Amino acid sequence: MRAEANPNVIEVEGLTRLFGDFRAVDDVNFQVRRGEIFGYLGANGAGKSTTIRMLCGLLAPTGGRATVAGADIAREPQRVKERIGYMSQKFSLYMDLSVVENLNFFASAYGLAGAERRARIGDALAQADLEGKGDLVTRDLAGGVRQRLALASALLHRPPIIFLDEPTAGVDPVARRGFWRVIRELSRAGTTIFVTTHHLDEAELCHRVGLMVDGKLVALDTPEGLKRTHVPGTMMSVGGQGEGRARNIAAAVTGAPGVLAVQPFGLRVHVRVDDRLAAPAAFGAFLASRGLPADDVEVVEPGLEDVFLALVQR
Amino acid sequence: MSPFLRRTRAMALKEFRHMARDPQVVLLALAMPLVLILVFGYGVSFDVEHVPLAVVDQDRTAESRAFARAFSAAGTFDVVATPDDPRAVEPLFRQSLARAALIIPEGFTRARARGEAATAQMLVDGSDNATATIALGYGDAIGLTLAQAELPRGLSAPLEARVRTMFNPSLRSAVFIVPGLIVLVLVIVSVMLTALTVAREYEQGSMEQLFSTPVGRLEIILGKLAPYFLLGLVQVLLVLVVGVTLFDVPLRGSVGLIFLAASIFLLGELTYGLVISIITRSQMVAAQIAAISTFLPALILSDFIFPIDNMPPPLRFVSSLLPPRYLVHALRSIMLRGNGLETIVSDLLPMAGFFAVMLLIATRRFRRTVA
Ligand SMILES: Nc1ncnc2c1ncn2[C@@H]1O[C@H](COP(=O)(O)OP(=O)(O)OP(=O)(O)O)[C@@H](O)[C@H]1O
Ligand SMILES: [Mg+2]
Repeated sequence: MRAEANPNVIEVEGLTRLFGDFRAVDDVNFQVRRGEIFGYLGANGAGKSTTIRMLCGLLAPTGGRATVAGADIAREPQRVKERIGYMSQKFSLYMDLSVVENLNFFASAYGLAGAERRARIGDALAQADLEGKGDLVTRDLAGGVRQRLALASALLHRPPIIFLDEPTAGVDPVARRGFWRVIRELSRAGTTIFVTTHHLDEAELCHRVGLMVDGKLVALDTPEGLKRTHVPGTMMSVGGQGEGRARNIAAAVTGAPGVLAVQPFGLRVHVRVDDRLAAPAAFGAFLASRGLPADDVEVVEPGLEDVFLALVQR
Repeated sequence: MSPFLRRTRAMALKEFRHMARDPQVVLLALAMPLVLILVFGYGVSFDVEHVPLAVVDQDRTAESRAFARAFSAAGTFDVVATPDDPRAVEPLFRQSLARAALIIPEGFTRARARGEAATAQMLVDGSDNATATIALGYGDAIGLTLAQAELPRGLSAPLEARVRTMFNPSLRSAVFIVPGLIVLVLVIVSVMLTALTVAREYEQGSMEQLFSTPVGRLEIILGKLAPYFLLGLVQVLLVLVVGVTLFDVPLRGSVGLIFLAASIFLLGELTYGLVISIITRSQMVAAQIAAISTFLPALILSDFIFPIDNMPPPLRFVSSLLPPRYLVHALRSIMLRGNGLETIVSDLLPMAGFFAVMLLIATRRFRRTVA
């Protein structure tokens, strides 16, 4: 089968990894299409890094199978490695080496040489906004710049797929936005991106998002699809004054007909209702019937956080 | 260039850069051989005078008395006692009243008159290593001079100054120390550094990043060895230069051969360092294991300080499994006796075997799993 004929560049079937008796990754199935930004969410220890390591040919699966860029991860890890870029969660660059020394090393590690290598290193410096700063020691770079350099270095050999394991952890919001701009450009140019993150605002930028809970992939869809499926109805945000008020509101509306879910949200309460209470007038009347003021109510779009909470609480 | 060579070179270059960013390490690696050779070298080469000498003359002839006088005349020895019985010597040594003893047996003169080999015995208190070495040398020289002066021409020296050391039969001179020192320096610095470098990559997580590239395990291993291998050769050069210029250590054989032997030794020991690192994945543990498991054999089982011939069989067996004794033997053979390749092949082969085994273990144990 020619690579062009198959729109999926990652295919995962029943992928499982045990550590002793512990199922770190448990029977996971999904496909990723060319050029897709595929986000992977999950709490600490959910199995995100373990999945990525298996897909990068770094860790042998205990069960199931997967192909990455047409290569079988268990049987041909060497071919996988030639076709992917990887930014690990823990390490990205050698801190004691200069920017150019790092790029030179990884370029050679990927087999680049001569004029091609020089050109790619020039591109990488531009991508990380480090033109003319190649002699800086990597340790002295700001966290955000360092991560963009690490990304550029993982892309030196122009891999069709790149795996990013929490690339923006500990990076300030402005730098994160810059980082994601690069990711979206890559995607537009046809590179497939598999990225894990703890930032839900970043997950909103993904084409599709998978959610891992205790080694299992419990949901997988576009951000909108996830919200439609897992947070149906209309979300009303009701203001309270002081924590006690918010808790009173929550207690007063929970379990009422037409109320699907109630979730404290800071000083406010998110009340998800079905069609019966979806109209502002109907909801105002409902609050009044429970003896609650109806003057501070807003309709809000559910976020992935609501999806996350709905799924984790289940 | 093949991809294999290109990636190996990239690894080696990266390691060189880590090393260059840490100049203290390089400085330490170069200062260590200098300090050690100065300590060991000067430790054994003070000038010795007035060594208290006991003379046991059982021959009691004019000739034997002249022979004994020749010893006190040189200024090196002072005759402090003239017991009749050789058994009196040991108590004198124990009380530090004498450090050397000359024993001229009965029949000494008669044997010489008949032109047979006449044997006088020189005993030296070996517990004072430095003095003993020098005293032995002087004793030997005086005996030979006498022999040549007093003998009728045409006869080969039938007077043998048969020297024996008490308490420390393994007495070593500066000349003997240099080969052992080379071994010691190489294992202390180079093995330690290689053991640290792989463990560091595991600890900082860069090993995982390396494994995600097409770089192979043999490429990583060879690239890691390269800079420390060169550093080791520089250390050998330093010890040789200082040994030859300051301590008159003879260099009778080929320098190329010395470096060949040292190279094979280094490859084995460095790869052993990598094996430690690959298995422990921790800089702390690797450093401790490297220090103990290489320093002790190099010091104790190398024939450097303790002669292997005098060891109990189990220790002798252990020493035969480890490379240090082979390099010490090969270096002595080349430097002191001027022997060529054909003689030291029997030392090179076991060292090469050790390297092969370590390389096999290193590549086997490497990259089984990623932490
Ligand atoms: N080599 C290993 N040996 C034993 N257990 C492991 C190993 N690697 C991971 N685990 C366990 O597997 C589980 C999943 O780990 P993983 O690193 O995949 O989680 P994660 O989703 O990436 O978490 P985080 O957000 O903290 O990075 C954890 O409980 C972890 O302790
Ligand atoms: Mg992780």
